[in-house]
Amino acid sequence: MFGVATPSLGSWASMVIQAPTPTQTQYVGYGGGSAFPIGIGKCSGARRSSSHYQQQSSRQGLVSLGSFSNCRSLFPSFSSSSSVMTAVAAVDSDKISSSDAADKQQPNKYYFVVANAKFMLDEEEHFQELMFERLRNYKERDREQDFWLVIEPKFLDKFPSITKRLRRPAVALVSTNGTWIKFMKLRLDRVLSECFEADSLEEALAFNPTNLEFMKPENWVAPYPKYEFGWWEPFLPPGSKEEVNILGGKIE
Amino acid sequence: MAAEMALVKPISKFSSLNPRFSNPMSGRYSKFTSIKMTATQSPSSTTTKPSKKAAKTAIKETLLTPRFYTTDFDEMETLFNTEINKKLNQSEFEALLQEFKTDYNQTHFVRNMEFKEAADKMQGPLRQIFVEFLERSCTAEFSGFLLYKELGRRLKKTNPVVAEIFSLMSRDEARHAGFLNKGLSDFNFALDLGFLTKARKYTFFKPKFIFYATYLSEKIGYWRYITIYRHLKTNPQYQCYPIFKYFENWCQDENRHGDFFSALMKAQPQFLNDWKAKLWARFFCLSVYVTMYLNDCQRTAFYEGIGLNTKEFDMHVIIETNRTTARIFPAVPDVENPEFKRKLDNMVEINQKIIAVGESEDIPLVKNLKKIPLVAALASELLAAYLMPPIESGSVDFAEFEPKLVY
Repeated sequence: MFGVATPSLGSWASMVIQAPTPTQTQYVGYGGGSAFPIGIGKCSGARRSSSHYQQQSSRQGLVSLGSFSNCRSLFPSFSSSSSVMTAVAAVDSDKISSSDAADKQQPNKYYFVVANAKFMLDEEEHFQELMFERLRNYKERDREQDFWLVIEPKFLDKFPSITKRLRRPAVALVSTNGTWIKFMKLRLDRVLSECFEADSLEEALAFNPTNLEFMKPENWVAPYPKYEFGWWEPFLPPGSKEEVNILGGKIE
Repeated sequence: MAAEMALVKPISKFSSLNPRFSNPMSGRYSKFTSIKMTATQSPSSTTTKPSKKAAKTAIKETLLTPRFYTTDFDEMETLFNTEINKKLNQSEFEALLQEFKTDYNQTHFVRNMEFKEAADKMQGPLRQIFVEFLERSCTAEFSGFLLYKELGRRLKKTNPVVAEIFSLMSRDEARHAGFLNKGLSDFNFALDLGFLTKARKYTFFKPKFIFYATYLSEKIGYWRYITIYRHLKTNPQYQCYPIFKYFENWCQDENRHGDFFSALMKAQPQFLNDWKAKLWARFFCLSVYVTMYLNDCQRTAFYEGIGLNTKEFDMHVIIETNRTTARIFPAVPDVENPEFKRKLDNMVEINQKIIAVGESEDIPLVKNLKKIPLVAALASELLAAYLMPPIESGSVDFAEFEPKLVY
């Protein structure tokens, strides 16, 4: 539908004016879909330069909040900004369906930092704060979650040089956003970092069920209580929450 | 730049082993001169505070006043020039840039009716103490804004990524300062920030000292704000003003700022990997911790007013800040040694006596004579604290033993 559009500001405005209702529909459809596949970028490389540019704009508009901010400067009112985002999403949605066959062959890349569970979940309380801050930010901006905590991840089997340096149980922060994982490495410092490819999210986040227990600190002197055991449950892989609840426990 | 810092300008770099002990002494001597001024000026600044006009013309510089900073911008440009320094880890800066661009607090610092209502209920000494808290905090945030904004402007050509990060940090600080200044309006005060920009004296720090001082300031700001927030969350009866509810989001800005200075220092390993770096790192830690402790104990009514034990609060903040700082600084003081706290408490006693002398009715000559032994005692405590055996530390990224570390 939008294949004929050229990547200029004028045509963006045109899209908004011409077809507000259909784009809304497509946007809803996109929202229900899976995470944005990075592989689609490679497909664009094989197309005409204008398509490539358009694809780049679409991806950037979706993935980078910075670009969205730029759009907002063009359309000061909220509804206009929303329309622009919708239009961009619609274009992208079109691309996804047209290259569906190619996507299936492209594994996604996952980045992670990993350390022992006591360090990540019990001692580093600022880590909890960052996780909740980011989750809240994603909800405020209707972004799909692209980061998870995996306790005893199976993918560690691919990294024997990391595994032998880990105390167990281990916890990994996994994300498709490699830039953010690099930031987390800087923040946490005492973690190991790597990346891997997986054919599906379920495969990437597969884990070996384990029982977490943390000793209560003998001498807690802070003028506030510790964060509660289990704060990490909202970040566990989809579908694993219930299981961990059964296995989880703590020593009083 | 949340924490109130009052560091005396370091006199000189250590050029050889021999001056190791004399230079800290020199630095402290300058500090003592400032201490004399503290006693003289504090009372008058209190009395002039209710008058906005008078306050404008009576900016008091004391040892413990939040400071404005400037630096050697040419050296900064050289340090982060991407063409001169091929080894700069730009990917770490780009990761930080994305984090700042996310702008987690874009929509968070919005006031409501609660603010004015809470302010109107505050009367008497607590009200005055609170006004001072807001004013000092606003000044500290604003000084960070000025420094970061200028650095963002100056580095734009030689390192656009680092420059943009500085600009985004100045966005955060401006937001904080604005929020605090609006809070002051609830109490019928306002800081003339434009006037402050021109009228305040600026302390010059070389870039490496900006890194040490500002990193510490941001991290200690994080720990102060998060501690107050978490305490008040579980003790809401002390929540006397709604600004504290925003401290959870606020302090994450400070923490990220500290992360950026961590990356800046990592990009310049010469600031982290030799004996001079260890001595300076310990000096800045000690200066910041002592300044905060003396400051807060002087204003213990504020912290007790929100339900905290001042000394316990400060020791918690110092211990946690020190633990965080140990991940980047090559050496830190051993603040968990009970002797360290004893020395801090001794300094508080001495400082209180100096203030009392300043407030007494004696003639200036007698006051100065009475202060001499007190200043000497304070110098002795500071030097002794500095000479306590430090803890070796630093980022594991630089550690020779990193390949053998277990995580």
